[in-house]
Amino acid sequence: MRYILLVGFILFFTSCSQKRVEKLRGFSYTPAGKLVPAKSGKGRVGDTYIYAPGIRFPIEEAPAYINSQVYGIGGYLGEKGSLCDKRNYQYPWHDNYCEKRGWKMPLCSGGKGHQGDDIRTATCEKKKYHAVAVEDGRIVSIGKYTVSLRGKSGRTYRYLHLDPKTLQVRRGQKVRRGQRIGLVSNYMGKTPTSIHLHFDMKQTIKIGNKSKVMFVPPYTSLVDAYKRLLRGNP
Amino acid sequence: MRYIYIFVFSFSILSAGGGILDIDWSSVAPKSIQQKPSAPYPKVLTEGIKDVHLPVYLSRQFAYDKNMSVVADKDFYTITIDLDEAVVTFSGDRTYQESVSPKNPEFQKIAKATPPVEYNSAEGIMSAMFNRHGANYSINIECEDPKKDKRCQKIDFISSLYHSLTIVGGRP
Repeated sequence: MRYILLVGFILFFTSCSQKRVEKLRGFSYTPAGKLVPAKSGKGRVGDTYIYAPGIRFPIEEAPAYINSQVYGIGGYLGEKGSLCDKRNYQYPWHDNYCEKRGWKMPLCSGGKGHQGDDIRTATCEKKKYHAVAVEDGRIVSIGKYTVSLRGKSGRTYRYLHLDPKTLQVRRGQKVRRGQRIGLVSNYMGKTPTSIHLHFDMKQTIKIGNKSKVMFVPPYTSLVDAYKRLLRGNP
Repeated sequence: MRYIYIFVFSFSILSAGGGILDIDWSSVAPKSIQQKPSAPYPKVLTEGIKDVHLPVYLSRQFAYDKNMSVVADKDFYTITIDLDEAVVTFSGDRTYQESVSPKNPEFQKIAKATPPVEYNSAEGIMSAMFNRHGANYSINIECEDPKKDKRCQKIDFISSLYHSLTIVGGRP
């Protein structure tokens, strides 16, 4: 009985201290699918499923901020101002998967939307923060501004806008979870974008005797991964 | 109603845990796998895909490109070709990561709405996705100048690649 009480106490204490760490760092987030601002489209509200459980957060260090690039301050369709406005660099996080785009996306309302989540680094500086592998796997392709990692799970994770000169991986290379891939930038070939990491996850879903490859919602997996990063256990 | 679907989907219908999709080798035209190429394919290709257990598709015009890079295991492959100011990739995959009941209305609708080949342009990348013999395939083109390069703006180029696909390897 004494041991049960002791284990219970330890578990309770650990849970409290973890909550304290999160609180201490001020992390907060709006629910998956709630897009901000509302005019940025309809998200996949209510889908709280974690599609990629246990992944490492794709940026090496906290803080990082998930919010809209297009509808954020200084964004193409956002409030006028600087992309580096400090309001873009604060909590709460806002999901931007399924944000308005003309791109085919079967899991989004109306069949169109943003394929992943855009993540800002701690500060508005390019080539400073490392993107890292979210799980063990292989780098299957490196395009002009995209690095694709196929994890052991079979899921493919895409990292967009890393600075090509800072890449620390090559095609076919095996990588370990947490291994550095490259520095987050605004690189998009000859048409630079804002400083951020576009991160998405592609996987095959079997539907009866058919199957389809889809970009699945990354937000819940990222929230889960980020909490672990804040607790010091990425 | 949509939210109800999503709610139900989130908690009970999607089943984690993947597997391997069956390849219908009988649907692969015997000619395609028996026909020998006019010249031997480059070693980088033959060595790279020697253990792949699904039909390997590549556009004819790239089948002899010695500078391609191949990443593969028994259940997937990605072949990358560097072009002038663009990169094209050909991928095939016979794994799945989740399964869902065919009775699920959202996925039933998605499966029905899927054309034989689906062209899409997103993040400046032009893609073509299709399912053949039970496996999933894609072609992607990424351009140095995604807003001006026609290969990433219009489907003509990717469509020509799709229509010139040939089986270059893979075995049951």
